[in-house]
Amino acid sequence: MSKKHVIKNQKGENYIVPPGGSLGLLALGNVGVRAWKKAKKEWEETQNPKLEKE
Amino acid sequence: MKKNKVLLVGWDSADWKIIDKLMANGLMPAIKSIVENGVRGKLATIDPPLSPMLWTSMATGVRPFDHGVLGFVEPDGKGGVRPVSSYSRKVKAIWNMLSIEGYKSNIVGWWPSNPVESINGCMVSNLFHQEKVGKDIVEIDEWKIAEGSVYPERIIEKIKDLRVHPFEITGNLIMPFVPQAVALDKKQDKRLNVIAKLLAHATTVHATATELITSEPWDFTAVYHDAMDHFSHAFMKYHPPQMKGISDEAYDLFKDVVIGAYVYHDMMLDRLLKLVDDDTTVMVISDHGFHSDHLRPTHVPQVPSGPAIEHAPYGIIAIKGPGIKKGESIYGSSILDITPTLLSLYDLPVGRDMAGKPLVDIYENEKEIKYIDSWENRKESGGEIVIPKEHDTDLNDTALQQLIDLGYIEDLNAPHQEAEDYLKGIINENSFYLAKSYSTAAKYEEALEILLEIENKAKPDFRILIEIINCSVKTKRFKLAEEYLTFVRKNKLMNDGYINVLESKVQLGLNNPKIAHKLLQNALNENPDAIEILLDMGRLLNAMMDSNASIKSFELIINKDPQNPYAYHGIGMAYFQLGQYDEAISYFLDAIDRLYHYPLAHFHLGEAFALMKMYEPAIKSFEVVETMTQNIPKVYRWLLDLYEILENQEKIDRYRKLVDYFSRGQRKIITGLATEKVEHFVKDLRESGKTVTGFNKHLYDFSIDLSSPNWLHQLDSDFVFIPLNYLKSQNGFNSYQIYFLENTEEEAMKYIHKLNRIKERTIDIGLLDDLKNQLLVANSWISQQPNIDLIRC
Repeated sequence: MSKKHVIKNQKGENYIVPPGGSLGLLALGNVGVRAWKKAKKEWEETQNPKLEKE
Repeated sequence: MKKNKVLLVGWDSADWKIIDKLMANGLMPAIKSIVENGVRGKLATIDPPLSPMLWTSMATGVRPFDHGVLGFVEPDGKGGVRPVSSYSRKVKAIWNMLSIEGYKSNIVGWWPSNPVESINGCMVSNLFHQEKVGKDIVEIDEWKIAEGSVYPERIIEKIKDLRVHPFEITGNLIMPFVPQAVALDKKQDKRLNVIAKLLAHATTVHATATELITSEPWDFTAVYHDAMDHFSHAFMKYHPPQMKGISDEAYDLFKDVVIGAYVYHDMMLDRLLKLVDDDTTVMVISDHGFHSDHLRPTHVPQVPSGPAIEHAPYGIIAIKGPGIKKGESIYGSSILDITPTLLSLYDLPVGRDMAGKPLVDIYENEKEIKYIDSWENRKESGGEIVIPKEHDTDLNDTALQQLIDLGYIEDLNAPHQEAEDYLKGIINENSFYLAKSYSTAAKYEEALEILLEIENKAKPDFRILIEIINCSVKTKRFKLAEEYLTFVRKNKLMNDGYINVLESKVQLGLNNPKIAHKLLQNALNENPDAIEILLDMGRLLNAMMDSNASIKSFELIINKDPQNPYAYHGIGMAYFQLGQYDEAISYFLDAIDRLYHYPLAHFHLGEAFALMKMYEPAIKSFEVVETMTQNIPKVYRWLLDLYEILENQEKIDRYRKLVDYFSRGQRKIITGLATEKVEHFVKDLRESGKTVTGFNKHLYDFSIDLSSPNWLHQLDSDFVFIPLNYLKSQNGFNSYQIYFLENTEEEAMKYIHKLNRIKERTIDIGLLDDLKNQLLVANSWISQQPNIDLIRC
């Protein structure tokens, strides 16, 4: 299992970053895009660890 | 002292019609917060409504013929073409002016802004987020940052990870636009790929802007999004209500895409608003609107820039910030006003050579505007173009491909295209846009000169031919217009209906209203539902004083398009001419209700109020016209007359100055039905040493070349005889002393019969009616003019 990425949303609440992303996340701009890319990358590594090692 | 910041957000093609509905449903809270805490208005676009030209006008305050950005592509100086670039811009942009004054700017995505400029601040060009090489999308791992797309280079490190590639866009992100996306095969249905691409582009621009806003010092940030326009071109046809020809399946799948695009832009705006403080002025603008209702075209013409037919003439403007009015609307704004207004926000001088004006109505308190002759006289560097070390062919191909995909330019690789012809075509196309830019600014002579140069009868382009005919009519070159009409008709370059419409304009210019009417009737027989032709017909009938028929024509339009402001104005004019001013006022108000930025409707409303002796509302109407346009000198004459009645000396002085400024002097005119009495009157004048022009041997032997532009101003005689039916062609630049010789229709008929050697006692009922109508029209027109001294003899 990959660890869950959490960032603050626009209301200041904790928000679990889904690897598939969300429009709300992208609308956060730099912070949202970076958090999403990180979560997506880790999820992809978890799904296909062998490919990453190769 | 703390300097106030300005955040400018550009949403290409954003339209209030959609925004208002979404705000009402709580779906666009960010723009709503600006509207509620600031001012809003419609932003008039300029013709041709093509984005690179418009956004450059916004950033410079001048029209395309002055700023030099013409169309979507430009020659690259090496025999090829490239996307329109910073190289084409001939004047300073707002970011150069701010740099000169020591202000720091972040400019993100502006179209066109590649290659970037070495401004005081940061610049990321409109090609930063492009992921194509030619027709192919590059893989994420091979996606380079194009040279010339980022300034300064040091910021590349912190923004390079913020680019989002369309391949990264997941189903989760598409679902809000197309809830049934899962059921579609992304590889088969290219429409989902379009959404992914536009979403990726918008997100890259936004992420870059937020990074620069939060990590760089700045006084001005400008962020431009083209995605809303591209979403609209691709998906507005699926927007509710369902259009004819759109299948139920496609409608159900894609009806939410445009709404999704608007909502997403509002979410991004919401984030930007949270990143700036209360001392920051925020301005959201669009370059034109987009038809989203019954005005959506059913097909897009297969000509370069054909998709622009979907654009609506008014974009949006919403501003909030310190010193800005709250919850109010502003009127009469144009895209040319953006740079002057931005300069006023920084208390910087506006260039007198700018075509736009600062929007002083946005301010709570009176704003003192400073002026300089021209920012071009400032020799300090406000940023130079950062010329890439190597010519990046891939990057040009990428951007060109995007324009081909959007339907704005033809495909260079199309089998019928030779490179040389293609380049020539591009140059001609840009020249055509230059001519359009001139004619929009009422510079018809300049436009005509260019059009005649690029027109090629061996390869006729109906758009150029139409413009030539229109400009010929405007400059009163009726013979030239007729020559081109004959060519168009002979070669069957347009359908007969449209040719008839054009010819009717020529005939009207030649003062042949009956022939014009017949031509329009023929056109209507072929196209009975054509609103533009019905409008022309209604206006012509008004010009012919056939008010009842005119009202019927305009009512047909209202049945088809109840929101058409021009039809209401037309009916108002019909009642105005009938002297039924209260009815006229009601229709003028209907027109204004549907389109507030309609100077002519306000003007006629003012005239109707004035003629009803309702002086205060008349003044209010004329003063609204004054805020919208400075091109109707008659407005100043009316205001002068009205303030003289009200004995307001301060205003009298003001408008006297303006009338004097515009005045081309007083002309003495002799008119009336042509009779021997008129001939004798002229003879007496001549014998007393006065010069009288207008006719030679007899009153129907005109000596004036009415096809010459500004013919009246070229006459230097003491008096000029003008036949009754030409009186309406006078303008507001002059004041007129009219000697109106009172005659009967019978006397006039007798004069005509004598000239034609017809027996004296012959009665021609048709002729009598015609003469009676001429008297009626002339008397009615004279009674409605503010710049005429009437002497009846």
